Amino acid sequence: MPIYNAPLKKVDQKETRRYAGLAIADFDENFIIDACDEIVYSATPRGIWNMYNYDNIHGIVLADKDFQITGSKILNHLSHCQKVIIMAVTIGEVIEKSIEMAFNNGTYSHGLLLDAAATTAVEQIADALEKNIDPKANALGYKRIWRFSPGYGDWSITCQPQILKLANAEKIGIHCTSSMMLTPRKSVTAIIGLVPQTDPFSPEKPSCQNCSQKNCPSRKVTNKNF
Amino acid sequence: MIHIFDGAMGTILQERGILKSGICPELLNIKHPADIINVHKAYINAGSTIIETNTFGASRIKLAHFGLEGSTREINMAGVKNARVAACNNAKVAGSMGPTGKFIEPLGDLTFDEAYDIYLEQASALAEAGADYILIETCIDLQEMRTALLAAKKAAPNIPVICQMSYSEDGRTVTGTDAQTAAITLEAMGADIIGANCSTGPEQLLPIVKILAKNCACPISIQPNAGMPHLINGKTIFPMSPIAMAKWAPKLISAGASFIGGCCGTTPNHIAEIKKALYNSPDPIRIKPTSSLALTSRTKTVFIGIDMPTRLIGERINPTGRKKLAAEIKNGSFISVKKEAVEQTNAGADILDVNMGVGGIDQPAAMEKAIKEISQIVSTPLSIDTSDPQSLEAGLKAYPGRALINSVSAEPDRLKYFIPLAKKYGAAILCLPLSDKGLPKTAGDRITILKKIITHAKEAGLKDNDFILDSLVMTIAADKTAGCEVLEALNLYRHEFGYPSTMGLSNISFGLPNRPLVNSTFFAMCLAAGLDAPIMNPYDTSMQNTLSAAAALIAKDPNGQKYSLTASKQQSTIVKEKNIPKNILTAIKNAIINGEKENVANMVEQALKEGHSSNELTEKALSAAMNDVGKDFGAKKIFLPQVMLSAEAMREAFLKIKEIIPAQEIANNGTVVIATVKGDIHDLGKNIVAALLENNGFKLIDLGKDVANEAIVRAAIENDADIVGLCSLMTTTMTQIDSVISSLKKAGSKAHVIVGGAVLTQEYADNAGADAYAEDGVIAVKLAKNLVQNKL
Repeated sequence: MPIYNAPLKKVDQKETRRYAGLAIADFDENFIIDACDEIVYSATPRGIWNMYNYDNIHGIVLADKDFQITGSKILNHLSHCQKVIIMAVTIGEVIEKSIEMAFNNGTYSHGLLLDAAATTAVEQIADALEKNIDPKANALGYKRIWRFSPGYGDWSITCQPQILKLANAEKIGIHCTSSMMLTPRKSVTAIIGLVPQTDPFSPEKPSCQNCSQKNCPSRKVTNKNF
Repeated sequence: MIHIFDGAMGTILQERGILKSGICPELLNIKHPADIINVHKAYINAGSTIIETNTFGASRIKLAHFGLEGSTREINMAGVKNARVAACNNAKVAGSMGPTGKFIEPLGDLTFDEAYDIYLEQASALAEAGADYILIETCIDLQEMRTALLAAKKAAPNIPVICQMSYSEDGRTVTGTDAQTAAITLEAMGADIIGANCSTGPEQLLPIVKILAKNCACPISIQPNAGMPHLINGKTIFPMSPIAMAKWAPKLISAGASFIGGCCGTTPNHIAEIKKALYNSPDPIRIKPTSSLALTSRTKTVFIGIDMPTRLIGERINPTGRKKLAAEIKNGSFISVKKEAVEQTNAGADILDVNMGVGGIDQPAAMEKAIKEISQIVSTPLSIDTSDPQSLEAGLKAYPGRALINSVSAEPDRLKYFIPLAKKYGAAILCLPLSDKGLPKTAGDRITILKKIITHAKEAGLKDNDFILDSLVMTIAADKTAGCEVLEALNLYRHEFGYPSTMGLSNISFGLPNRPLVNSTFFAMCLAAGLDAPIMNPYDTSMQNTLSAAAALIAKDPNGQKYSLTASKQQSTIVKEKNIPKNILTAIKNAIINGEKENVANMVEQALKEGHSSNELTEKALSAAMNDVGKDFGAKKIFLPQVMLSAEAMREAFLKIKEIIPAQEIANNGTVVIATVKGDIHDLGKNIVAALLENNGFKLIDLGKDVANEAIVRAAIENDADIVGLCSLMTTTMTQIDSVISSLKKAGSKAHVIVGGAVLTQEYADNAGADAYAEDGVIAVKLAKNLVQNKL
């Protein structure tokens, strides 16, 4: 149950623009910088993960209580994995209050950008946690494939309670509501597959083109359907 | 002299069938000592001159995985005993300590003191059993290495301590420490040998050795893996053959290493080949590292010195005279402290001074918290500013780098308490020429006091690159020679000591008019006289400009390149005057479209004074503007944050109208009850729609998120709502939409229902019985207006 609270020194401005739907807009960079900086000093990044053996024939995470994975995309994604990491990260609750306060004070655009910057930040913390796992995975002769979160593809978010338990996420203050939403809201859970270094398997990365949310404001601008 | 370490232990024990899956490797020290001794002997026979005890994972915390935490001392002592038996005085014994597997706060949940106790216990057992070295290896976090080193020095003050960190292929540890930073931090703390092991092979570690050799004077040790591992048929294989690996040994030695061995995947054969490759190899030629003062954070080194650019020490994390900051610190909130850290760094501070001088608080705890929080968000090295030795120690412990202590005067208590702490934690000291005999008036007096501090510090073991000297600025309004004495002091410091200098500048101008002019002029003079690291407010643009120009003038910015960049940027940002239309309604409309909320209220006031009615204002300026915004949004010419800026400007306009005109005279487009449905906690979309509706003349009742059906129905009925807006983001909560609509109908609500949210579709809205589906906020406003107008 290793805990790794990755430092958050900078929030990626480009990604924040994208999440705010401003990827191709001419918009004052200072607004973005202000939101990114505010996230840096109001976030409380936390991260936790556990490694499990994985039965890739039956799609079962071999824990004290086995966890059956369902969903064709996730099963295919993990089809070459011998081990998996179950991880959870959050940037805490203070951000929620800052966003709420921005809307209450009538600084709506700042609230919107804060939300986008917070999303960027939690993804960065998840990336940093993944990087932290690398030496351990590499020393065992494994490489990691991209993380897959409940809700992607056809992997239902109803598995969140089990994921949280396997990651021991309560220890860093992440919980799940009865409608399977994570609190604090800016949190991420995911499974990371570990494939032998020598296995050339490289699953296809998710892209905006394959996503059903055609009106998503953060849709990548390379997509001509935007 | 070149020393040859041994190689891996665990893999050999596995191959020989001695170590089986699920067994604690270190327990074999007790259960199978003969087998361990045999592995050691194999390495000695291969040419190892230092063998490592089989105690890598024998910390209490690791042994607890096997329920063996109670046997920590016994297992470690047995490890040394086995190595001693094998060595038989033909090799030295290094007591190995690996990482605990947990990160120290704030990166993890282990406290510094817990980690220290764990390492102290292990190092004490290793030392007591007779290890010749303590070897701390495979650390990926500088803070953990610092803790282990402190514990090892405490447990074994007379035994050399080797500190080996593990670097990834990018030349940094997983937590971001580069080899230069590690070398400087650990040598200052008293590491006897500094090196690297594991993670990568010899090729990748070669540049690390070069960097270590350049940045510390102590010997370098290196223990690479036999290449990068592969998993073949369920076994982890390290691909590098003994001969291939040995080829790198002379290169590692000539790069500066004098201790060499192997880590994962290396065998006695590898060591034998390394020994052969180094036969008659000369000792490495080491160049003395720079004598500049270096401060570090976990991930960055900043040098301060005569040949370096001027370094700016940011003074703003200081509650003195700042009530709001003091109150926040007192309440345990560090958001403003963190804000200052980020903003000062953005403003160009190279070092941040941290002062927690608030009365009536637990200052050591506040200092610890501040240092932890700041070091998580900026890479800027820190200066710890306190008069309390306990706060200083709390800060130094918590800081994952080499800090500056601000400040050490010649007052007896400072010398007595601060200097040993500087030595213990490897901090540099800012020497302040103050003594218990009062303020030194002349430059010569300052030199006398500084000599006393430096002599004392050197006796305690501090070195030439541990000092920065303060020039002690006093007020010219009280003493006409105060400025001259500072300039003289700066000159003398260069000649007498050669150490870098610092000062807080603003004292110089107390009591004088136009202080910024005096300060910046004095600053320029001091820079010319040799000031290396001013302590100042990094937001002060006139001082920053002086620094920028002075750097060019004194050749610290060759040919004024940086100056040119900064100065030309400033010129280009001069704002062009905007063309304001003469028609006030058009001006308001344009201001709203452009999201320029600053002047809207004044314009509205002017429009009303000119006789425009509130309805006219709303129709011709505000609604007209929002129509244009909506069209541009629909055409993807502008995007949501821009729409929200317009809404902000609308809000300012409405607030002004409401302030001036009686409520009943203001147009009301209708009443809207809005909520995110039960179970859903995502309310950004709802907030956006609420903001837009409210600023388009609707009376808004925002019930918030996760709202029960009954509350929505009650609010709709009680307020005779024209519209009910429902939002649901997730599939798991979408069905609540159906349920609320059905409840509203049952309760006899006449309100139109508009629904929206990420997963909702027109089809779903139709099936649920909604009157409209809003794809986005702008459409929601349009729909609301249409529905209300048709209803009326």
